[in-house]
Amino acid sequence: MLSRSIRYFSNSAIRAATQVAPPTLQDVVIIGGGPAGLSLLATLKNSPKTKHLNCTLIEGGSLDKVREFATNPPQEYTNRCVSITPKTIDYMKHKIGSWDFIHEDRIKEYQGIIAYDGQDADSRVEFDVNSIGKDNLAAMCENINIQASLLAKVESLGLEDTTTIKDNTKVVDIINPLTPDLENHDLNEIDEVPGTGKLDWPIIKLSTGESIQTRLLVGCDGYNSPVRKYAQIESRGWQYNTFGVVATVKLQYEDFRSVGWQRFLTTGPLAILPLSEDNATIVWSSTPELSEILVKVNKDIFPRLVTAAMVLEETDLKYIYGLLKENPDDLSAVEEIEWRMSKVPEVVLEERYPAAIVSVLDGSRARFPLKLSHADTYVAPRVALVGDAAHTIHPLAGQGLNMGQSDVIHLVEALEKGIDRGLDLGSTLVLESYVSNAWPANHAMLGICDKMHKLFSTDFYPLVLARGLGMKTVNFLSPVKDMMMKSISL
Amino acid sequence: MSHFNALASSWWDVNGPQRILHKMNLLRMDFIHSTIRENLKLNQHAQSEDDLVYIPPYNVDLLPKPIRDNIVGEIETRRDDLLSNAKYNVLDVGCGGGILSESMARLPFIGSVKGIDLSTDVLEAAKLHKLKDPMLATKLQYELSTIEELPEDKKYNIITMFEVLEHVDYPARVLIEGLKRLDVGGWLFISTINRDFISWFTTIFMGEYLLGIVPVGTHNLEKYINQTEIKEWLNESHERKESFRVADTKGCVYLPAYGWTFTSCPDVGNYFMAIQRAK
Ligand SMILES: Cc1cc2nc3c(=O)[nH]c(=O)nc-3n(C[C@H](O)[C@H](O)[C@H](O)COP(=O)(O)OP(=O)(O)OC[C@H]3O[C@@H](n4cnc5c(N)ncnc54)[C@H](O)[C@@H]3O)c2cc1C
Ligand SMILES: C[S@@+](CC[C@H](N)C(=O)[O-])C[C@H]1O[C@@H](n2cnc3c(N)ncnc32)[C@H](O)[C@@H]1O
Repeated sequence: MLSRSIRYFSNSAIRAATQVAPPTLQDVVIIGGGPAGLSLLATLKNSPKTKHLNCTLIEGGSLDKVREFATNPPQEYTNRCVSITPKTIDYMKHKIGSWDFIHEDRIKEYQGIIAYDGQDADSRVEFDVNSIGKDNLAAMCENINIQASLLAKVESLGLEDTTTIKDNTKVVDIINPLTPDLENHDLNEIDEVPGTGKLDWPIIKLSTGESIQTRLLVGCDGYNSPVRKYAQIESRGWQYNTFGVVATVKLQYEDFRSVGWQRFLTTGPLAILPLSEDNATIVWSSTPELSEILVKVNKDIFPRLVTAAMVLEETDLKYIYGLLKENPDDLSAVEEIEWRMSKVPEVVLEERYPAAIVSVLDGSRARFPLKLSHADTYVAPRVALVGDAAHTIHPLAGQGLNMGQSDVIHLVEALEKGIDRGLDLGSTLVLESYVSNAWPANHAMLGICDKMHKLFSTDFYPLVLARGLGMKTVNFLSPVKDMMMKSISL
Repeated sequence: MSHFNALASSWWDVNGPQRILHKMNLLRMDFIHSTIRENLKLNQHAQSEDDLVYIPPYNVDLLPKPIRDNIVGEIETRRDDLLSNAKYNVLDVGCGGGILSESMARLPFIGSVKGIDLSTDVLEAAKLHKLKDPMLATKLQYELSTIEELPEDKKYNIITMFEVLEHVDYPARVLIEGLKRLDVGGWLFISTINRDFISWFTTIFMGEYLLGIVPVGTHNLEKYINQTEIKEWLNESHERKESFRVADTKGCVYLPAYGWTFTSCPDVGNYFMAIQRAK
């Protein structure tokens, strides 16, 4: 059983009691209990230099499922899976200290990616991790497995006095206290009621009626970050008019090749990434129209459709999408698919393509809009942004969560330095180094992903040719390939 | 806004007129922290053989990595332990708006800080700013006083005089008053400027005339003391020589668009010095 010693507050029970109380003071308030927020809390509490800080994490949703997962994970895979890089794993082992709490049996390491063109299956790039002298390219892991390990780490540290987690609690407002009127103030008097005006710390109003005033406010609150809006930090981006469909599926057999597969269709890339045993996860980026078909299509047709989409000509696929658009339960589409697949020789299917998909896990299909965005900066006085609040990225390269973990490491390093220097942790003198260490690498990564997206999502003929050429060239020029690989696996 | 409020907010605006001082504060805190940490007596309170930390008499970098990591790890843990039990008291002479006083007061191994200055205005500004951080309320006190006026029998573990000696008429006298009030094993940290062409060029000509960072007349070249002069002065009297040692001197320079950085040469421009009272 998980210890419940850390203070958890779930809404109404405490509402009445706290309605009128003055704001509680905290050193760090983290908004968001996603992978970024939980990781930040775990890292702060795991560092000898920052563990004494009074920290509160606020999450709008419930963390019950996350908590449950740590001790009693479900048999089946959950639908959000991410690829985590060796660097992220290294952080989790050595800096965050959460790796001991992860269900390792649910993690699948893979050694390479085979990527090929939708228009010409012969132009392939085979990324092999041995070429850059590593053992694994990355590992596939459920989002919730990461969250659960982070939460379990926090609880294992037993720092109840300085750690508060409030789930089912929404931030309803963030207030910047007005410049206090100190004209007639006795300067030697201590601020008796905190939050009565002298502190310039932001005040966070919660859905429970409570408020907290904090030295440093960290927004780990995802793409629509209320913290980013409060700090008036501009985020610039590109909306792709593209949606990602994710699902957890079963393969015909466990594929011992341990590689990820990615096909660049003109509607967007489709990737199949291995999970342990005969499980796999798919990420299919596509047009708004196609993605809608993909989530609606009959669960017996969907596996065959994905298998076919890794193999068949795009004209054939378009015809089949047409049938399913009319009627998502049209079983005649299955015959159309089988008939076309039967023309591809068995050995080609076995050697050049991923194992066939046989079923999709109930309730695992979901659809997300894809966007790429980057905040102009990650900090303002008493504010820092981490994870998706600071940047969102095309899932094509599987980087979003990894970038958030590296943000956490850089931010905690800046705070540790600030502690050693006796600085106020909300000061931009402390936070500036977080931005200068984290921002440029993230920006470069966003740029690579944007360019890859643009390069691979068109069927404009000359570009397809050039692209085919490009892919083959990439395959020959191993240094270029290695650079691309490193950008994925670092 | 009152005069003091305006002064406090300009002194404490990290992007304002005192930005250079705020940036320098980062480097001097690194200097103070690492000097104290590296000079801790690791085995002073050891009760038995088992309690002793092994301190290799040669450069640990020569050892194989796992062994080195082990030795270094043990030493660092001992330093953490010693510091976590420490509660040093600090006197910050010429504290100004309190940039250094506040930083010192936030360090976990500091028990209390007294900041003194001659200017009522900056002290009021310092007190106003102190209110902005509850963790300073009990640890930090300000007082309008010169160091001579403080009782001589009250000793301090750490006394700081940063960017002050170049503003006083008799720096040696202020230094003596500081050394008198040091506890055995205690530290006097100072920073000031060498009297040389570079100093004149960077602080007086550039700072006061060209960049307008500090008001004209703030610095007076005649008041600058060279770091070697302080060392010679300490050696002049037998008593001073026996009681005090200069543990470290570091030059530092401000590079626009980068900030402050240590130099390999303490004889040029600004420098920090750490003097320890041996007995
Ligand atoms: C289809 C898809 C595939 C992906 N694949 C990968 C991959 O392979 N590899 C990878 O690294 N990344 C991948 N990502 C990205 C990854 O999932 C995200 O980057 C990651 O989840 C971001 O974590 P976060 O903690 O920053 O934000 P989130 O997970 O969005 O968490 C934000 C949290 O803040 C809370 N919150 C927001 N507002 C409030 C409020 N007002 N009050 C209280 N709480 C609030 C929310 O409830 C939420 O829990 C993928 C994303 C998608 C969409
Ligand atoms: C440049 S400021 C440095 C402030 C602070 N030490 C810092 O570095 O952040 C110099 C300060 O020294 C003070 N000062 C000058 N002569 C002094 C003296 N004899 N005794 C105490 N303070 C003095 C001034 O009032 C001024 O506030």
